[in-house]
Amino acid sequence: MSGRFLFGDILVSDVVQAGLPLETALDVGAFKLVPALTVVAMLALFLGVGYVFRVAAVDELWVAGRSIGSIENGMAIGANWMSAASYLGVASLVAVSGYFGLAYVVGWTTGYFILLIFMAAQFRRFGKYTAPDFVGDRFYSDWARGIAAFTTLAIAFTYAIGQASGMGLMAQYIFGISYEMGVIVLMAVTIGYVALSGMLGTTKNMAIQYVILIIAFTLGLYATGWTEGWATALPYLEFGSEVAEAASIEAQFVEPFAEAGYYAWIALAFSLIVGTCGLPHVLVRFYTVDNERTARWSTVWGLFFICLLYWGTATYAAWGGLLYDREVTDGGGFSGMSGAESDALVVLTTQLADLPEWLVGLVAAGAVAAALATTAGLFISASSAAAHDIYTNLYKQDATQREQLIVGRLTIVGIGILVALIGLNPPALIGELVAMSFAIAGTVFFPVFFLGLWWENTTQEGAIAGMLTGIVLSFGAILNDTAIPMYTGYEDHVNATLATWLPGTSSALLGVPIVFAVIILVSVVTTAPPDEVKRLVRQCHSPEPMARTESAEDAAGSGAPADD
Amino acid sequence: MTDNNSHSGTDSSTEPTVETDGGVRTEEYLDKEINIFKPATPFMRDHLKVIWASFLAWILVVFGPVTGALLAPEVFAETTVLGGFPLHFVLTAIFTPLGALVLSVAYAMQRDRLDTRYGISHEGASEVAESDTVAADGGD
Repeated sequence: MSGRFLFGDILVSDVVQAGLPLETALDVGAFKLVPALTVVAMLALFLGVGYVFRVAAVDELWVAGRSIGSIENGMAIGANWMSAASYLGVASLVAVSGYFGLAYVVGWTTGYFILLIFMAAQFRRFGKYTAPDFVGDRFYSDWARGIAAFTTLAIAFTYAIGQASGMGLMAQYIFGISYEMGVIVLMAVTIGYVALSGMLGTTKNMAIQYVILIIAFTLGLYATGWTEGWATALPYLEFGSEVAEAASIEAQFVEPFAEAGYYAWIALAFSLIVGTCGLPHVLVRFYTVDNERTARWSTVWGLFFICLLYWGTATYAAWGGLLYDREVTDGGGFSGMSGAESDALVVLTTQLADLPEWLVGLVAAGAVAAALATTAGLFISASSAAAHDIYTNLYKQDATQREQLIVGRLTIVGIGILVALIGLNPPALIGELVAMSFAIAGTVFFPVFFLGLWWENTTQEGAIAGMLTGIVLSFGAILNDTAIPMYTGYEDHVNATLATWLPGTSSALLGVPIVFAVIILVSVVTTAPPDEVKRLVRQCHSPEPMARTESAEDAAGSGAPADD
Repeated sequence: MTDNNSHSGTDSSTEPTVETDGGVRTEEYLDKEINIFKPATPFMRDHLKVIWASFLAWILVVFGPVTGALLAPEVFAETTVLGGFPLHFVLTAIFTPLGALVLSVAYAMQRDRLDTRYGISHEGASEVAESDTVAADGGD
C-alpha cells in the first residue's frame, strides 16, 4: 500500500482530501471508532487502577507510603515528566525551528543529570513531601513556604495550558469534535481522574501510562520508517539522508544559528536544565521511594526512559517535514505549517505516511496519556500546595484532614477550569508554554533548592529575597513577550531588548545568577540560620543510612530542641 | 578534630580515611559545616570529587556540540556522518542525551562504590541502621 505513495508527487492521501477547509492537514472531519475506543479503554484502565489503589487519608494521597522500586519509579518519573510537550511539542519545534529546536531535546533530557548529582538523594534524605514543605522547613519561615506554594501553583497552571492545547488537538483527530470542545471534555476527564484516584493510584498508573505512551510513540515511528522505506532496526541513527533532504528543502533545518543565535540556544537549554531541577511535581517522585540509593537509581532509570522518547523526536521532525512537503504543500516546504499542524506533527506524520487508522489513533491516544499523566501530577502538587501549605499552614492551623481534602479538590477544579479557558486560545506553541513554566521553576526554585541543600548559611531572608527576585524576572519576561502581546495591542513584545536577553521561555540564564547573587548577599548580611536548621542540612549529606520513613528532621532533631 | 586535618593533607587518591574516622558516625557529620566549596568531612570530600569530575564531563557533553558549531562550523556543520547527518545535528539530537545517560550511570555506580567504601548499606535501612558496620574489605 505504501508503494503508491513512495515516489508519488501529487497524490494527497485520501484522508486529507476528505477534510474540511484545510486549516489543518490533520484529518479532523470525522469521528473515528477504533481510536475513540482506544482512548476510552485507556481511561477506563487508568480509572480502574486508580480505584483499586484508591486512598482516603491525606498523607497517603500525597506520598504513597514510600513503597516503590527504582524501575517502577523511573517509569513514573518518565510519565510524570513527558507531557504533550515532549510527545508532541518537541518534534514540532525541531520541525519549524530546526537546530534551535534541538535545544529543547538537550534541555529536557540532560537536566536529570544535574538533579541526580546535586539534589535527588539529598532531597530524599530531607524527607519532605512537597517543594513548599522543603522551602518552609529549610528556611524556617511560613512566608517562604507561602511564596513557594504560590510559585508551585503558577508553574502547574502555565504547564497545564500546554497540556490542554495538546488534548484539544488530539480530540479533534480522535473524536472529530472541535478543538474547543476537545479541550473542555478532556480537561474535565483529567479533573475527574485526579479527584478519584490518589497518589498511590497515580504512581501505579504512571508506570502504565509510561508503557502506553512509549509503545504508541515508538510504534508510530518504526511503522513510518518501514512503510516509507526510511529505516529498519534503529531509526534514531538511520534518518541521516532524510535530514539531508529536509535541509535541501528548508536550509534552516540544520543551520546552527539560522532561527536564533548562540545566546538564545544556550539560554533555552540552560533554562530547561535548571527548570528540571526546580519542578515541584518531579521532586515529589523522590519521596515515594525506600531510600536515597533508590532515589538515585530511579533518576537514572527515569532518564533512560525519557531518552527512549527524545531520541525519536528529531526523527519525527525530519520525517514529518518531508511528508508534509510531499503530501500537503506539494514541494512547497514545511516551515510554513500552522501552529496546530506542527503541534500535531507526530500524529500527522503517521497519518501522512498512510498508516492504518487504528495505529494513527494509537499514536494520538499516547499523546492523550502523556498529557493526562503530567497534568495529574501537576494538579496533585497544586492541590497539596493550596491545601497543605497555604490553607493549613498560613490560614487555619487546625484544619482537619477532611477540610484539607476539600480545599485540595476545589483547587484542582479551579485550576482545571482556568487552564481550559486559556487553553481554548493558547498564546504559544505547546513546547513554548511548557518551557515558560520551566523558566519559572528554574529561576525561582532552583537557586533556593541548590543553596538550601549545599550552603547551610543560606538564611530565610536570603531565600525570600531570592524567590521574589526570581518571580519578578521570570514572570516579567513572560508578560513582556507572551502574555501582554497576546491580550493587548502590542505586537510580539513590549520591550525588544528585554525580549532578546530575557525571553519568557529562557529567562533562567540571566535569572539564576542574579537570584544566586541576591540570596548570597542577603544571607551574608543577615543572622545565620538556627543550629537545628544547619543540622537538617548536614543530615542531608551525612553518609549514615536513614530509615524508610525517617526525615532529616527526625534524624537530626535528637540533639537539638524541636521548634514545632 | 585535628585528625581530620591531617587526613586532608594525605588523602590523595588511594583508600582514604575509612579506617580512622569510621565512616558513618552521624554525630560527627552533624557538627561539620555544609558548604559546597569547603567540604568538611572525608565523605563529603570524596563525594564532591565525584560530583565535580562528572559535572565537568557533563558540561562538555551538553554544550560542546553547539559551541563547536559556533567556533568551528567547517568541522561541525559541514562534516556529514551516518548517511547525511551534519555532525553537530546528530551529536546534539542523539549523542548529547546518550552522554548524559551514560554519565548518570557512571555517577550512580561511583556513588555506590563510595557507599561500599564507607560501609553504608541502604538495604537494611528500613530497620534501625547499624552505624558500626564499616566495610572490612574497603571499597574497590
